[in-house]
Amino acid sequence: MKTKLIQILYDMRHQPVIAWVTFIATALSIFLIMVVVMMQQVGITPFAPESCRDRLLLGAYLHLTDIGDNQGDSSAGLTFHSARILYSDLEGVERVSYFCIYKDDSDVKGQQSDAFAVQSRKVDAEFFNIFDHPLVAGRYFTPDEANSLLPVAVITESTARRALGDTEWAGAKILIDQKDYTVVGVVNDNSTLATTASGDVFLPIADSDPSVQWDEYLGAISAALLVKEGVDFQSVRDQVKARYATLDTELAPKGQKTVYHEAPFDQETIASGLHGSNTTPDKNSGRNMRLAIYAILLIVPAINLSSMLHSRMHRRISEIGVRRAFGCTRSRIIADIISENFIVTLIGGIVGVTLGVIFASTYSGLYENMDNFGRGDTPAINAIVNWTTILTAIGICFLLNIISASIPAWQASRLNPVNAINSK
Amino acid sequence: MSIIELSGISKVYRTKEIETTALENVNLQVNKGEFVSIMGPSGCGKSTLLNIIGLLDKATTGTVTLLGNQPQGWSDAALSHFRNENLGFVFQSFHLIPSLNVAANVELPLTYRSGMTAAQRRQRVEQVLERLEMSHRLKHLPTQLSGGQCQRVAIARAIVGAPSIILADEPTGNLDSKMGAEVMALLHRLNEEDGTTIVMVTHNEAQAQETDRIIRFFDGRIIS
Repeated sequence: MKTKLIQILYDMRHQPVIAWVTFIATALSIFLIMVVVMMQQVGITPFAPESCRDRLLLGAYLHLTDIGDNQGDSSAGLTFHSARILYSDLEGVERVSYFCIYKDDSDVKGQQSDAFAVQSRKVDAEFFNIFDHPLVAGRYFTPDEANSLLPVAVITESTARRALGDTEWAGAKILIDQKDYTVVGVVNDNSTLATTASGDVFLPIADSDPSVQWDEYLGAISAALLVKEGVDFQSVRDQVKARYATLDTELAPKGQKTVYHEAPFDQETIASGLHGSNTTPDKNSGRNMRLAIYAILLIVPAINLSSMLHSRMHRRISEIGVRRAFGCTRSRIIADIISENFIVTLIGGIVGVTLGVIFASTYSGLYENMDNFGRGDTPAINAIVNWTTILTAIGICFLLNIISASIPAWQASRLNPVNAINSK
Repeated sequence: MSIIELSGISKVYRTKEIETTALENVNLQVNKGEFVSIMGPSGCGKSTLLNIIGLLDKATTGTVTLLGNQPQGWSDAALSHFRNENLGFVFQSFHLIPSLNVAANVELPLTYRSGMTAAQRRQRVEQVLERLEMSHRLKHLPTQLSGGQCQRVAIARAIVGAPSIILADEPTGNLDSKMGAEVMALLHRLNEEDGTTIVMVTHNEAQAQETDRIIRFFDGRIIS
């Protein structure tokens, strides 16, 4: 290890252009790849308020089609009725919350403010037991309050501060979309990057709310399922699929049936954006596309780095010959070159990952396609830097190293020792 | 007792257009503890012969026997292991690794030897460098040494693994006469004190005369 570091430093002094270009090219390659990785991490990694992502399934849509000669299709979110048929009392599911699939643009006016725009979301009381919205003041609304559609609200800290100033928040009155509400609780601010659970204002939702239910089966309700620890998602899906048959029995007299699209979706499917109300998410094509992107991002710089390494090795041909003369095997030559190059890649990788973290955590433009509502939220560091990202970065460094160093190392190992020793 | 035995060795270099014979039916025996010099004009095949003895090159025909082993057909790993254990090389241009200091250069053959700890290697390197009066240059880089000192380090590297045979290709070729004499004295010392067999290619008649035997080469053949 020490000898390899000495060699790297020696190269930096004696072949500065090649050494630094190699180093910078490695750092930039890892930076680019890690930005893509981190963007995907934001969609998948658990972070508040979606700390439960690894146990979360989302039943978001229902697709109905006509039976017989009629060829009509309709699809949307659920109603309480259809959602309960499909998602209530499933084995292996710890909690279920029913909430509005989308956020509304609302106006809030408090005692201390003019009206200002916020994003409101209608949720049931169970929502706060699944998603991580820590209370700053007051309490969450109760199931009874939600079911009665009482004018109570849970708002975020920044909304409370703006609307109510420093007055007592819990119990304060505010206007939301020109209607009087009582603030029962204030929760931490949250990031719009938590696409399922974010919001500035949370209002009760109930069976009797017509604004989120178009007919008996289709509406704007989603079901968030918190799966018990260790339970396989597929076992839940299998139960849900069976429930579709129940729904079909109910729909048959109306001349309709359901079309099953692998619901409920896990976080990877939600983040991939491949799901829709009337399409079956194709996880494989999403994964293949990501792999193709990674492959291109790896192979292009790897070819460049490979030629750099080739140039570096060209000046060490004589050394390779001497090493061979004194008993170094071909495989040891390969291992030494690859491990030496891995150190360079790893150092470049650390710089690249650091740049990637800074970029991914500060440049909100990266997340414009993630339901960001133009608010420009950027992820917290813990959403993009975790064991998965660290291991991914090391893995990518290793792959980049193997791809770029294998051919020059193999060529070096095949050199004729005599020719190598005598080379200038 | 012969430690090196070459029988009917020929070496032919072939390209599409031309065939060049570097060695032709060379037969040679070198005894254990012998100091042999090989002389001849440039291009007569002296270095090719040394490379074949050193298992760095393969003969086109003929048999090489080293320490009772016939390494024809051995794998790369077996050849490397044999070189590491039994052969030491000294080159005209020293061929020290420029990024490594004296100690690390001398240690090089031991790093390819299994079963030695770093401390054991360090101890052995210090012993050898002390014997060659180079222990005060332990941390110096090759660029900080004179030609004579570089060749001393190269000899230290060649003997650090206690090989039975040292193959020296014009070891004094790049040195002035004084330094050349010092290096020759050193090689004689190793030959006498350790009983190491030395095969040396040289153009220097006087230095050759100091050795036990002179083998004269011409056009790929031994002429005397």
